[in-house]
Amino acid sequence: MDIVRNAIAGTLESGDVLVKVSPSEDGTLTVHIESEVIKQFGRQIRSTVMETIKALSIGAATVVVSDKGALDCVIKARVQAGLLRGAGATDLNWKVLG
Amino acid sequence: MSDDPPGVDLADHSELDFSTVDVTVSPDVEAEITRLLQENGLELDEQINTFVVCRKDGHLVGCAGFDRDVIKDVAVTPGLHGAAISLRLGSEVTKLAAARGYHDLFLYCRPDNAQRFRGWAFYPLVEIPDVIALMENNPVALAKYLEKLSRERHPGKAIGGVVLNANPFTLGHRFLVENAAKGCDWLHVFVVREEAAQFSYADRFRLVTEGLADIRNVTIHQGSKYIISRATFPGYFLKTRATIESSFTGIDLLMFREHIAPALGINRRYVGTEPFDATTNCYNASMKHWLADAPSTAAPIETVVIERLAVDGSPVSASKVRALLSAWDLRAIERLVPSTTLAFLEGQATPARDRKQGGW
Repeated sequence: MDIVRNAIAGTLESGDVLVKVSPSEDGTLTVHIESEVIKQFGRQIRSTVMETIKALSIGAATVVVSDKGALDCVIKARVQAGLLRGAGATDLNWKVLG
Repeated sequence: MSDDPPGVDLADHSELDFSTVDVTVSPDVEAEITRLLQENGLELDEQINTFVVCRKDGHLVGCAGFDRDVIKDVAVTPGLHGAAISLRLGSEVTKLAAARGYHDLFLYCRPDNAQRFRGWAFYPLVEIPDVIALMENNPVALAKYLEKLSRERHPGKAIGGVVLNANPFTLGHRFLVENAAKGCDWLHVFVVREEAAQFSYADRFRLVTEGLADIRNVTIHQGSKYIISRATFPGYFLKTRATIESSFTGIDLLMFREHIAPALGINRRYVGTEPFDATTNCYNASMKHWLADAPSTAAPIETVVIERLAVDGSPVSASKVRALLSAWDLRAIERLVPSTTLAFLEGQATPARDRKQGGW
């Protein structure tokens, strides 16, 4: 799936995460993660984000994740929502999303 | 009987209500916002018309102003700072700006509040200690831009930089660049990207490129949001006041000194004398201070002032060319611009030309 537009998902509130997605200018995938619990859960958050991106076959994009201590399932849902909005997707494949 | 811990009123579930207001048509709200800003040691910025306001039981408890992609005048009622209001406000601002098509945002705040806006997912760009800080919510854009610039690095001892608006490109710009290029090993020319000029960025950039094509040691760069833009230097595009606050010229010049110049190894900045435009004149006057004297983590950059080219005893300026164009005096323009710019201007349909040609 290609990211063709800017999109956001989520909020900055405690227990949530804000995800900003934008098209890549140079054809690369750039993922920037910031979290209030990066020391305890940084690795886990990163793997959740990367797996979600991979599952949607995103090759090039800039993804900025500002985590406020969200649970894994919330992170996954927000990243999916951001990417799908950025791809302008309307035809959702729930098998991939689950 | 309440189970709430002592001192915390968990029963306070009164809703926060967010809305957007245009203060130019709501003087009552403007007065409320002004008061809230004052309580936070801020003044209402005259460039800001749109505010996101947060109300609790009808009382204004938070506000954030924005001008397209630039956020300023953010305040929360003192005493409520610990509450989640600030983060809710940050979410609302981000969402509203995105809905209007602005994803990459800039934010001005007092440096002692910068930490609070880190929580809004904004990252520090540049700061004048105790006065003002500029932040942005894209943590990778500047690095990518600088990386792109750094590929254009050239070796040498004297590496110059000059920023042109070139609205349009004149023999005055040509004279400045020619002389600057003579004085350094390599010269980097930036064209202001903001679409606030009479001529479009694409036209301005093309005329600069054509007008400087024969100078060997010059690279012409695309401008960006990080160099004389509405974000780094809001006053430049207003030009309503003769004097603009030096803190804003400081932000733009420190951006240049701390980020752009190091990417290209620029150690001197060239500028022409400015007899007509008060804003630009003020900017030039403060250049030496911010590029060299002001405390900064970056190395100082020398400011080199070049006397503006004069034709028939009168300094050449783009504003004069625009005035002559609106009078369709091509013969006078011909003496002030290179042939490439002249050819472009001849193709410009203006009301003045239509009047002369149409004979009405």
